[in-house]
Amino acid sequence: MLEIRWHSRAGQGAVTGAKGLADVISTTGKHVQAFAFYGSAKRGAAMTAYNRVDDKVIMNHEKYMEPDYVFVIDPALVYTSDVTINGKESTKYIITTHMSTDELVASQPKLADKEVYTVDCIKIAQETIGRPIPNTPMLGAFMKVSEMYDIEFFKESMQRILGKLPQKIIDANMIAIQRAYDEVK
Amino acid sequence: MANTGWDEFEIGAMLRTFDGAIEDIAGTRQEDRNYSPNSSFTASVADWRIEKPIFNKDYCIDCQFCWIYCPDVSIISRDKKMIGVDMDHCKGCGICVEVCPTNPKSLLMFPELADEETEIASWPTKEEKEK
Amino acid sequence: MAFDKMELRDIEVWDGNFAAAQALRQCQVDVVSAYPITPSTPIVEGYAKFKADNYVEGEFVMVESEHAAMSGCIGAAAAGGRVATATSSQGLALMAETLYQASGMRLPIVLNIVNRALAAPLNVNGDHSDMYMARDSGWIQFDAYCPQEAYDLNFIAFKVSEDHDVRIPAIVNQDGFMTSHTAQGVKTMDDDTAYGFVGEYKPMNDMLDFEYPVTHGVQTEEDWHFEHKARQHNDMMTIVPDKIDAAFAEFEKLTGRKYNQIEEYSMEDADVAVVCMGTSVETAREVALEMREKGIKAGVVGIRVFRPFPFAKIAEVLKDVKAVAALDRSAPGGTAGALFNEIAGALFNTDSKMLLSGYIYGLGGRDLTKKHLVDLYTELQANADAGKVLTKQQQFIGVRGPKLAYL
Repeated sequence: MLEIRWHSRAGQGAVTGAKGLADVISTTGKHVQAFAFYGSAKRGAAMTAYNRVDDKVIMNHEKYMEPDYVFVIDPALVYTSDVTINGKESTKYIITTHMSTDELVASQPKLADKEVYTVDCIKIAQETIGRPIPNTPMLGAFMKVSEMYDIEFFKESMQRILGKLPQKIIDANMIAIQRAYDEVK
Repeated sequence: MANTGWDEFEIGAMLRTFDGAIEDIAGTRQEDRNYSPNSSFTASVADWRIEKPIFNKDYCIDCQFCWIYCPDVSIISRDKKMIGVDMDHCKGCGICVEVCPTNPKSLLMFPELADEETEIASWPTKEEKEK
Repeated sequence: MAFDKMELRDIEVWDGNFAAAQALRQCQVDVVSAYPITPSTPIVEGYAKFKADNYVEGEFVMVESEHAAMSGCIGAAAAGGRVATATSSQGLALMAETLYQASGMRLPIVLNIVNRALAAPLNVNGDHSDMYMARDSGWIQFDAYCPQEAYDLNFIAFKVSEDHDVRIPAIVNQDGFMTSHTAQGVKTMDDDTAYGFVGEYKPMNDMLDFEYPVTHGVQTEEDWHFEHKARQHNDMMTIVPDKIDAAFAEFEKLTGRKYNQIEEYSMEDADVAVVCMGTSVETAREVALEMREKGIKAGVVGIRVFRPFPFAKIAEVLKDVKAVAALDRSAPGGTAGALFNEIAGALFNTDSKMLLSGYIYGLGGRDLTKKHLVDLYTELQANADAGKVLTKQQQFIGVRGPKLAYL
């Protein structure tokens, strides 16, 4: 069982990202689950979304999770939320920030001794898609860190999932995914 | 209603107005329609009446007001011509008389036992407006 | 007017809401009369979009309240159409009056309830308060534990409900958010196969049959009301269970997916068992297997058909179990939980020595964790070993503060 927790702000696309990732993984024969914590939250409120992946049908519906990966797609949440909660020793963190990994860990002591990767998904999204929607770049970074799939296969799959969007937006997302894949450290 | 078995009625709170199929119901007179026992057409409520309307066709302008307003569908009208009152269903409420616009009225209420011909013979005359 | 068919992959990643919306499309529902409410909104929104995109031939009626939504469904069903809608929580509460109209008028409507807590305090998350509120309304009630089942049970609901020997409306429950907004793999049927299962709608006593005019929704007083209600209940108890089994069997033949009025997991030799509904059934299945590795013979019984309640089947599966927990995801309002009472009733006049304890859990979407269930099975095993219930008969799982226990 592979488990992922997303830290996001409502409106940044974590749910769409989690569902998109689940969709891609599902096509490879694995079983998936994608869900989120909802409330009456306004856009901009901190929220979490989740992925589960397994070789067998996923029966577990508890919301409690000790994630293998934590994705943080909004830079400020590292300070305003506890992104390490219920973490394991082996948990890997992929965090959106303009800082280097060393600078980030220095600024948030909770991340010390954790396996932390950084990438500026917000900047990448702004420069490619034109809007600060950091969900698809995060998935590009995840592909690099996890080596889950070949990046070309992943991009092809995402093209299908984004299918109904205008071609210009799809193309921009592909560049964003590739850039995050290349830039994550 | 007959005391039929508990599982003999059709399911759902539904009743049929007619026995069997119907066609051109609008072109069929009430007395010729095959109403089912569930239709109120077969139930007479006239015994309740202590006053009855008498219709005087001499003054009627066939405006159909009484036909529209009658709560028991007891005004008999054919081709938009008023021809009388269905005394099996009339409860004697007098609404037809209230809404009748002619002067004198074409419908007036009389005691149940009043004789129709006598009352029509002595029908009130036109009421003059006070100046 | 022709409509377009939709190409689906064999497995789509859908949440429970979208799965239900797709089922409504594939059944070619004639009328959806709806008023949106979280978390059920995407079901009717989905149907509306399918209609706008010409994937369905039907009508979407926007109304001013849930009371009007179900009223619209009743009118459309009486007129002779295949009808469905969806709601949750407060919406269902506002629909309450019309629920009884629909069942009493024997109109085959399918209502998707995405289960959500009832205010106050206001809460959009999943519990079974609304499901329980409708339990005496005379509707058939199915319960889905995951998006796949939300999809499948909609077809089965139409099939059973529209049967001319049944003509009782059906509810398909799914857990708010935990199913409705959780995307999982859903094995799909292609459009023709799916529609073939439910078949063309066959009207009965429809108001649009001008050759045989009918009056729907008539009045009966003490002269006939009781007979109507007795007959409705009689049909629910004697006809519906077999029709449900037949629909389950036909569905299995078509898809390979087997449903049962109660779902039994690891129950063959179980000493301790949990009875519950919704997503909790699946989580409990996983925990039961883990408990077995620790030497506790744990099992799970999921209620698939909440109404008509599978009384005899519950008695049969639980009679030799030593200790059973009834899990109710609804505030019981001054009595034992509904499942506790149903199970107690099912076993009461039998020789079973089963020990029953009731647990209220998960209100307002409160997480039911695997840890909770491990503790629960451990407690049940202690009861089984002691030969008596060591705790009070009613406890709470996962609530803050000192332990609450009653009865």
